[in-house]
This record gives sequence, C-alpha cells and structure tokens, in this order.
Amino acid sequence: MKTRLAVLILLFLLALLPFYAGKYALYVAIHILLLSIFSLGFNLLFGYTGLLSFGQAGFYAVGAYGCGKILLAYPSLLAGIVGGVLLAGAVSLLLGILCIRHTRIYFSMLTLSFGMMIFSLAWKWRDMTGGDDGLVGIPRAPLEVPGLFKINMAAMENYYYVVLGFAVLAIYLFHRIIHSPMGLAMQGIRDSETRTACIGISVQKYRLVAFTIAGLYAGLAGALLPPLESTVTPPLAHWSHSAEPVLATLLGGIYAFSGPIVGSVLFYLLKDIIVRFTEYWLICLGIIVVILVMGFRGGVVGIFVREGSRR
Amino acid sequence: MGFPLFMIEGKDMETLAFQGLVGLSVSMYLWLLAAGLTIVFGVLGVLNFAHGSLFMLGAYFAFTYYGLWGVNFWLAIAMSLLSVGVVGYFMERFFLRHIYHMDHAFQLLLTFGFILIFDDAVKMIWGGVAKIPPMPSFFEGTVSVVGRPFPVYNLFIIGAGVAVAIVVWLLFEKTWWGKMVRASASDREMASAIGINIPRLFTGVFAFGAMLAALGGALGTPVRVVAPGIGSAMIIQAFIITVIGGLGNLKGAFVGALIVGTVSAYGILLFPVFELFLIFLIMAVVLMVKPQGLFGG
Amino acid sequence: MKDIIRTESLGKYFGEMAAVHEVNLRLQEGLFTSVIGPNGAGKTTLINLLSGYMLPDRGKIYFREKEITRLGPDKRVKLGISRSFQVMNIFPRMTVFQNILLPVLSRLNKTSSAFSSLQSQKEAVGEAEKILGEVWLQEEKDFPAGELSHGDQRLLELGIAVATNPQVCFLDEPSSGMNPIERIKVLELVKKLASERKTTFIIVEHDMDIVFSLSDWIVVMNRGEVLAEGKPGEIRENQEVRDIYLGEEI
Repeated sequence: MKTRLAVLILLFLLALLPFYAGKYALYVAIHILLLSIFSLGFNLLFGYTGLLSFGQAGFYAVGAYGCGKILLAYPSLLAGIVGGVLLAGAVSLLLGILCIRHTRIYFSMLTLSFGMMIFSLAWKWRDMTGGDDGLVGIPRAPLEVPGLFKINMAAMENYYYVVLGFAVLAIYLFHRIIHSPMGLAMQGIRDSETRTACIGISVQKYRLVAFTIAGLYAGLAGALLPPLESTVTPPLAHWSHSAEPVLATLLGGIYAFSGPIVGSVLFYLLKDIIVRFTEYWLICLGIIVVILVMGFRGGVVGIFVREGSRR
Repeated sequence: MGFPLFMIEGKDMETLAFQGLVGLSVSMYLWLLAAGLTIVFGVLGVLNFAHGSLFMLGAYFAFTYYGLWGVNFWLAIAMSLLSVGVVGYFMERFFLRHIYHMDHAFQLLLTFGFILIFDDAVKMIWGGVAKIPPMPSFFEGTVSVVGRPFPVYNLFIIGAGVAVAIVVWLLFEKTWWGKMVRASASDREMASAIGINIPRLFTGVFAFGAMLAALGGALGTPVRVVAPGIGSAMIIQAFIITVIGGLGNLKGAFVGALIVGTVSAYGILLFPVFELFLIFLIMAVVLMVKPQGLFGG
Repeated sequence: MKDIIRTESLGKYFGEMAAVHEVNLRLQEGLFTSVIGPNGAGKTTLINLLSGYMLPDRGKIYFREKEITRLGPDKRVKLGISRSFQVMNIFPRMTVFQNILLPVLSRLNKTSSAFSSLQSQKEAVGEAEKILGEVWLQEEKDFPAGELSHGDQRLLELGIAVATNPQVCFLDEPSSGMNPIERIKVLELVKKLASERKTTFIIVEHDMDIVFSLSDWIVVMNRGEVLAEGKPGEIRENQEVRDIYLGEEI
C-alpha cells in the first residue's frame, strides 16, 4: 500500500513537472525517462534472466534510425515510434536466435560484437543511414490518429507528456511481466539454468523472449529520441552507449525493480556534476563501475533495501 | 544497394595475391591480441574485455619510448612490454583476483569498466589526437611482391608473428612454467595441492597475456596510427577469433587470426562497406556448425 | 509390472575412460530402486544420461517403450521424468515458495503466461502450498532459498524434484553432505514421498542404511558397468559385491 501511494505521488509530481520546471530541466527529464526505459529492458535480460548484453545500443540505434526514416517520409509521431520499436524488435529477434544458444560468456562477447556491427553499418552505409552525418532535420511530428485527433508537438511540454506516457506504459508492462509466471521462469534461468531445464522449462525459448523484449525496450527508447533531437547519428550504436544502461542499472541496483530507474536519475545527476569539472567523464564512469563491482554489487537500492523484498 | 563486385586494380590474380599478404600481416597483430585473451581465459577462466586496451597501451608506451624519447627501437619494445606487464599485474592482483569467486558477469563488468578507464586515461596522458610514429631506419623501404611495393616492415611483422607463435608454443609445451600453467588450467585444486602457488601463477599468466597484447600494439607503432580506441576496434575481431578458434585454445587463436585477418583484407578489397559483415558471417557459420569453435572441446 | 525405464547398451566415454559402458537396465515401475557402487563407478553419469543432463555416446534409452535417447532434459520432464542433484541445485535468489511454484507452473504449462500475476494462478499456488507442507518448509516459505540451512536446502531440492509430479524420479545422493541429524530427516522425507506418491524413485546412494531399508531392488555398478542386480537380500549375499566393498558392513 505504501509503495502504491509513493508511486502515485511520484506520478503526480511528474505530471506537473512542466509547470514548475524550466525547458532545460524538461529536456533532462525526457532523457532520464529514455534511459530508464533503455535500462529496464537491459535489466530484464541481466538482473532477471542472467544474460549480460553489451550490445543493447545496437537496438536503440535501430529504433532511432527506423523512427527517423519514417518521420522524414511520413510525419506522424505514432507511425515513427511504433515503426522504430517494431523494427528493433525484429532485429533483436533475429540476432537473438544467433546469440542465445551459447554460454553466458560467449553470449556477452557476441552481443558486443553485434552491437558494433550495427555501428559499423550505420557509419558506412551512407545511402541508407547518412553515414557519419546521420539523419538530420527529423521533424517533431504531430501526434495524430487520422480522423480522431492531431496534437502539435512543437512545444517541449507536449512531447514530454508523450514520452512520459510511453515510459509509464513501459514500466507498467515490465511490472506485469516480472510478476508473471514467465517472469519467474526467467528468474529461474538466472538462478540455475540446469535446474530450470530439469523442471521442464525450455531455457532457450525464454532467453530469446527476454532478449527480444529487451530489444523492444531499447528500440522504444531509441525511437523516442529523434523527435526530441531531430538528428540521429552512428555513435548511438557504439558500445560506449551500450555502457549507459549497464552503468545506470548497476548503479541503481540490478536486483531491484526500481534499480534501473533510480540508476538513470543518478546517472544524469552524476554526469551533470562530473562534466562541470572535467571532460574526461568516461574514466569517472569506469571508476564508478569498478567501485560498484568490487564493493556494491546491489547498487544504491541494494544499500537501502534488504535482499528478498523486491520493490 | 549497389556495390561493385570487383575493384579492379591491375590484374586480378596479382591483386588478390598481394592482398593475401597484406591480410597475413594484419593476422599477426590479431594473433598477438587473441593469444593473450585466450590464454587468460583458458587458465584463469576470465574473459578480459579490456585486453584491447592493453594492446593500445602497448602502442602508446612504445610510441613514447621510441618516438618521443628516441630510445632504440628494440629496447623501446621491451620497455613497453614491461610497462604493460606492470599494468596487467596491478589489474589482476588488486582487482580481478578478488572477484574470481563471483558470477562471471561481474568479471565482465569489471573489465568493461577498465576499458572506460584506459580509453580516457590515454586521452588524458597523451592527448586525443592520433600519433604517427617514425619508421625505424633498418625497416624502411619496400620489397617488390608480384610487381607491387610491399613494405619491408610488414614482412618483419609476419616473421615476428610466426616466431612468437613458436616461442609461445615451446613455452607451454616444453618448459616447467608452461607445464605448471597447463596443470593449473585443467585442475586448479590438484595443482594447488601439489604445491603450485595458484594466485602468483595466475598473476603471472595475466601479466604474460597482457605483454603479448602489448607486443602486438608496440610492434604496430611504425605502421599503424596510435590513437585512443584502436584497442576497442580490435577487441571485437579478437573476440571473433577466439569464438572461431575456441576459447582457451592457442592453436585455434592462431588459425582464427589467419582467417579473420585474411577475410578482413579481402573484404576491404572486394566489399569495402561490408567487410565487418563478412567476418561476422563466418563467425555465425562456425558457431552454427561447431558451437565450441573449430578447435574447442 | 512394467518397465518404466529401459536402456540398451548405454555408453558414455570421456576420452579413453568409460564412465558408463554397455549398460542394459530394466527398471520396474513401482519398485524403489537404489543404484550403489564405489566412487567412480558411473552412478551419477548414469543418472545424468537417464535424466537428459548428458547425452550418451552409445546405446538407447526408453521411457515406457518410447525412445528418449536424444531428448533434452526439459522435454523429458514433460514426459514425467525428474531428478534431484547431488550438489545442491536450487534457485538461491528466489523465495522458498517460488522455488516450488516454478516447477508446478511448468507442469501446468503456465510459464508462457506473461501478463497474469502469480497470485492469480490459484491452482498452482494451492499445489505449491501443499508440496511445501509435504517437505516441511511452510514456515520458511518467504525466505530467499539461498539463506536456508544446508539440511533445509536438501529438503527443498527434493521438493523441487517432486513438484512436477513425475512418474519416475532420480535422486542423486540425497544424503550427501548431511550431518547425522539432517540425514535422518532426509531419509524420513524420502520414505514419506515414496509411500505417499505414485512415483517410482530411483536413488543413487552411499548410505547403506538408507539403501537397505528402503529399496525393493538394488543395482550395483562398478567401473561403469552393472555388476549385479537384485533384491536387497540377494545383493547382500553376492560375493562379487562384497568384494568391491572390501569387507565393509553391507
């Protein structure tokens, strides 16, 4: 009951954000929401199914480029977002079939490799992706359902509500999945693959499902980016971008439901602070990862919440 | 899509033969990188994501000693090996060693963190601009191969790579240290029971693997650009090599490096945009046919 | 009485070494069977082959006359085969209750359900509660399984094995690593499960008290091959068997 109340209050505050926050704060808030979605998908794979993927940025990029290309040709926000998500899902399903049947170490290596393959494609396939210039001039298309309504997105506040809506939907769906029989099967795979197989569950099938869902989430986060930034460039697929959900989740707590979300907030806070002092912010990221792995594997949430009581 | 099937420069056969030789020299760098990676995995059970960074550090140290301080080329190589060996020592002794008992995922995360640290550290210390070191005088010039100029240095690299492969093989097959390492790799407890100091051995093996990577980086300095990120670019290929050859298998790493280096060279020649794709295709095929790699068990 | 498990010339080799060689077994339904033998006799490998954890190099395996030689472990479970592990293999981060709930959900084919909540699975929840009671772990139901005492983890291990309601269940050294008090509890549980459930139990054991007090049939293995089979009394008298145990009290 207390959790529900806290969540409602938080939602209320978020819904009112445009009224007391400036444009820059809204911009950052949108980015935090995108990273939250991105990280939730990552953690379904890692914290709940035990698969560590270093290539999620590849699917993020597929979602971003897909949305961008659609919006450039047909400026309807829903078409771009849905199209980007579906494209990312399809790619993750295909690559997943190749990756998931291997041991966890091979899997991690393969995901890093595939992520970089997508980066290389984005960078060199000029005709399709614009090469290292990327896609530019992507419109923040109106949210419309032909015949029903058409809402203009020029104002950042409007777009913020769209992103918030998708984020809430994504979080809600994630919550349902985690607390469902399928979610339990995934946790079983994380805890002991052999035992899971020996109780009649096909490990490969659920790994693939988890991988595809993670790809869809990454794709959603990616698809929500172009209308905000109006450009899409290859670094979105680079492994250094894949590091962001990894760090955010590790920071927030891989064993907690809210971990990726808390981590995303902390990530941006930290980035904001660090960047004021130095341009070398990757090294700080790396040091934080090392500290977390050596001493705080449960992340920030893990420090406050006892194991076994999942929030 | 539209990409040319053949880029014709002179006669096809000669171009192909020449490119094969280019591929061979590229394979040697890849072999040095993949060898260390696979040895560390085979013995310690750790996949060091930051191994490419050690390669990069090898290049930077060699550039500093040889290109900036004017040290003798061979001495510079040796010094850079030692420097990276020290870095490897610290990595294993103070960080990796403490997380062996944990889930593999945390080892991967830790080494991933190190990539981030090394990449920026290199920019901080040496600056972000690419460096182009000078060529040692005794390697200057080219040799005519099938009517085309082929750098003498690349011939040296091919020779060096093969020589190192033989030395490493001898090291593991014939020496006392090599036998201890192999025993520890196959049965840690047993090896410990007969008196082998496992922690010290592991640190040694990790440092050895680091030095192999550094050797690859250092040897590459006269002909390759020294820049941040060169390690990360190669680690992907090193992963593919170890997957193709089988993790933990030295022979597999050598063969895998030859395959990837050659395919990469031909890919650049024939399918310039998609050469990375070609390598992935080969890896995907190998994995589907033999998931443990060509020589994996 | 019917054969529930039958093997033909089953073999598994690791390089030169034969872990299991030319094993022809006919295990009867309803007979509590123990597999015994000195260390390295191939007992655990045999269980691994029969449960699908490993695939054989030679020979065939039949379950109720249906060939299952190359079937993966998850498919064998769906047919009605299950096992426990010698080295504790539970789900440490999940609660004790979830440890039992998952195999029950698997049996009821509910694991594909992604949007219904766990609580709404009334049938599965009810059954899991019952099994939890059967293995005496109701009080610990919300603890993370990894925090249970060693002895309780073994009870949980057995609970997971029977939660899929198997027709035949392989228990690999259930008393392994137990202190004397825990051992008694495990023995009691195995006895209880054997008498109350319609499952044919086949156990690998070193503890001769357990073996001789529970078994209807004993299979003796040595160096990967079946040395002898028979009722407990016959085995006790068998000179070859006594020889390989070198005068131990059996």
